[in-house]
Amino acid sequence: MGAGFLVGVIGVLILSHATYSTIQYRALLKITEEEFSGPPIDVVIELIISLVLCLWAAMAAPGKFKSIHPQSEENRVIALPANLDFMIFNHRGKIFPLETELKLK
Amino acid sequence: MAGHDNINGSTEKSSSSMDDLPTFNAENMQNNMKVILYSRTFMAIIGGVIAGILGLTSLTGFIFYFLVMAITSAALTAKAKFSIHSYFDSWNRLVLDGFFGGLMSFVLFWTFAYDIVHIF
Repeated sequence: MGAGFLVGVIGVLILSHATYSTIQYRALLKITEEEFSGPPIDVVIELIISLVLCLWAAMAAPGKFKSIHPQSEENRVIALPANLDFMIFNHRGKIFPLETELKLK
Repeated sequence: MAGHDNINGSTEKSSSSMDDLPTFNAENMQNNMKVILYSRTFMAIIGGVIAGILGLTSLTGFIFYFLVMAITSAALTAKAKFSIHSYFDSWNRLVLDGFFGGLMSFVLFWTFAYDIVHIF
């Protein structure tokens, strides 16, 4: 969770730097009076790096997939109260007074 | 149709069709759908900003969105360790879910980044 989030933050930072570089490039083009035909190559490389980092973050940060099969290893839960054959009522706890009425007050 | 058969059929028949019906852990399914929605929305936003910086317009941008979503689907498949049916009930869940909601986010951030970089 933490590592994926950090990678995403780095990706967004690189992306904002790429935005800033492109704005400066546009300003340069305005001075030299040329037409914009695409961002410079270093911006494209930055964009690709940030896309890869954000893809990694998008896979790592939101959490893991969980199996939907009821018989799979992680879904197998042994519910003890459902195991009615092993419930015992004839034990020494029955001599203690019931305190359910006291809780009601 | 299956529910109709269960109501009219005998108990023996309904129990056999219960065995045939695939049973899922709905809670984990919801969790998986939520993970996919987060991934897709995040990738749509990032793809929108990248498309805006690149200065893509009209059809090129939408083709770029399809490309980003295809990459995301491939990555999600890899994240599911290529065994889709142990995490989702069908391929449509993985490939199509959140596609149009992501498109809205994509267009929003695409125009946003394009305006910041190329117009102002």
